[in-house]
Amino acid sequence: MSESTVAAAFDVYRYDPAHDAKPRYQRYTLNLSPHTPVLTALLRIRAEVDPSLALRYSCRSAICGSCAMQINSKSRLACETHIGPEMARHGRIVVEPMRNQPVLRDLVVDQAPFWRQYDRIEPHLRLDPAHPMPEGRPTPMTPEEVDRFKETPRCIACAACFSACPAVEADPEFPGPMALAKLYRFVVDPRDRAHQDRLVRIQPNGLWLCLRCHLCTEACPKDVRPSERIRDLKEMAIAVQGATENGSRHAVGFKENISERGVLNEMRLVRQTYGTVGLVGQLGQGLKIVRKKPEVARKPHPIEGVDELEKIYAALDPEPKEGP
Amino acid sequence: MRLAYYPGCVAQTSGKELDLATRYVCRTLGIELVEFPTFSCCGSGFVDEANEVLNVAINARNLAIAEKAGLDLLTICSTCQGMLTLANLRLGDPAVRARVDAALKPLGIEYRGSTRVKHLLRVLTEDVGLDAVRAKVRRPLAGLKVGAFYGCHLLRPADEMAWEDGEEPHAFEDLLAAVGASPVYYRGRVLCCGFPIQFVKAGTASRIAGRQIQDAKAHGADAMATPCPLCHISLDAYQNQAEKAVGAALDMPVFHLPQVLGLAFGATPEELGLSRHLVPVGPALAKVGSGTATGPSSAKTA
Repeated sequence: MSESTVAAAFDVYRYDPAHDAKPRYQRYTLNLSPHTPVLTALLRIRAEVDPSLALRYSCRSAICGSCAMQINSKSRLACETHIGPEMARHGRIVVEPMRNQPVLRDLVVDQAPFWRQYDRIEPHLRLDPAHPMPEGRPTPMTPEEVDRFKETPRCIACAACFSACPAVEADPEFPGPMALAKLYRFVVDPRDRAHQDRLVRIQPNGLWLCLRCHLCTEACPKDVRPSERIRDLKEMAIAVQGATENGSRHAVGFKENISERGVLNEMRLVRQTYGTVGLVGQLGQGLKIVRKKPEVARKPHPIEGVDELEKIYAALDPEPKEGP
Repeated sequence: MRLAYYPGCVAQTSGKELDLATRYVCRTLGIELVEFPTFSCCGSGFVDEANEVLNVAINARNLAIAEKAGLDLLTICSTCQGMLTLANLRLGDPAVRARVDAALKPLGIEYRGSTRVKHLLRVLTEDVGLDAVRAKVRRPLAGLKVGAFYGCHLLRPADEMAWEDGEEPHAFEDLLAAVGASPVYYRGRVLCCGFPIQFVKAGTASRIAGRQIQDAKAHGADAMATPCPLCHISLDAYQNQAEKAVGAALDMPVFHLPQVLGLAFGATPEELGLSRHLVPVGPALAKVGSGTATGPSSAKTA
């Protein structure tokens, strides 16, 4: 092994549901430059060692979004993940298919769950009749209007975020980061006439299931920052519909809760989110907790200077206007 | 070392044991905690969802309190750490800055932006240092396998938190090893505890918590430890719900970060509030010979 190469050990997930009872990991060791992308290494394995290895790829330049997979448990594009840092950190490179999508073979997954959620947000302009698309060319937008998209147009639909998302993993109803970042792109598009409708329809079993764990933002190869756009959508959703879902009631309830004493009144928050009737359903668990932690049931002392908070709220959080 | 102590809401109420353990550990290590009865809640991520600029302003007020006293601010909650750090960053946007300043100025509050926000885990590993921690160990936690559970907002977004790798951190494991415990590495250690949607869809939240606990258990953990009292609520206070969601017994003791250190420094279970947990920590204490002041494991509240 020359100085400029590293003995890279790949443990590659292998599974063909038609023939294998269960998945296995196959070890391949290659001497490679530390700058070698994982995709390049996998293609060499396929060309020189094992032609049966199945993987999906195309452009090799982080443009097409085809080669997302798990590399040492992180959802990444194989074409832009270099082997040097992975070997340095882990001493080996475990390559597995993306999560949250069923495996077809080896590293190739069935992306149907991902695209189903994309379809759910109606990823096309619903045009404003007052501003029809001129024949033959799109409606021009000002640079300021384009800026409102933030980084969302960069998305290449690689599904790395969908693979990394623990909410998708636990609940197949959650649309996932990519679909919601796309939704944001249509909600802020001045040519779209369905902003409010989109924000209303995405809330049940949708928007409010985001955990704001930011794993999507770590996984995204294009810095779309889906978790931050999901936050923006939540604030916009409250603005158009008020607090109508558990999630929005909790967010608005929390905001009001701490304005009263400056610190959280835990029991009151449960009532704000669930209502007095819904509170009954929480009593069993609540009593178990109160037995060990009696402070939960007590009103907290207000902070000193709670009047300052009131004034900050008055300046930045005016009462919503009545009616639609 | 003197720090502005920002306990956050939970450590003052349901998570009082975290406050007790933090004070014990800081006393032992010679960290002076300066208290401010004027600190408000950080908004816990929920106020941020409802009104981002308001959330920044609330936290700018908190940061200004520490700035006026010339102190760095110590957090003991991943979410407090995240929200206060984000406030510092969002104030870099001139439009946000102008609105926040306009709200604070009439109150005589001016925040110049100099307060550094540091979680206890970071203070211990960076400022105190592992050698100084090691020097205080009277009862090494030898043989205790502990799964660190980080809590999202301490780490991510990693470019904004500007500390550890967002998916492959090691500070907590380093600290556990320094007090003699054996850190357990498992995928779930950097995932979510489910807490943010406990009130949105409880079943999904509990399934998420249950999976992370199962993952730690499958990798051999005798106990888990977390730097975040919100994770603690999900993993400990709601562990019975997590068991239902994943259809398996878990019986996983979950420590707050400073409780683990406190044990190694020789604190009694009472001094660390260990009897306040819903899942008994007795089996983990027995492994390190700390006695079972919290009662036998059969006393579990289910």
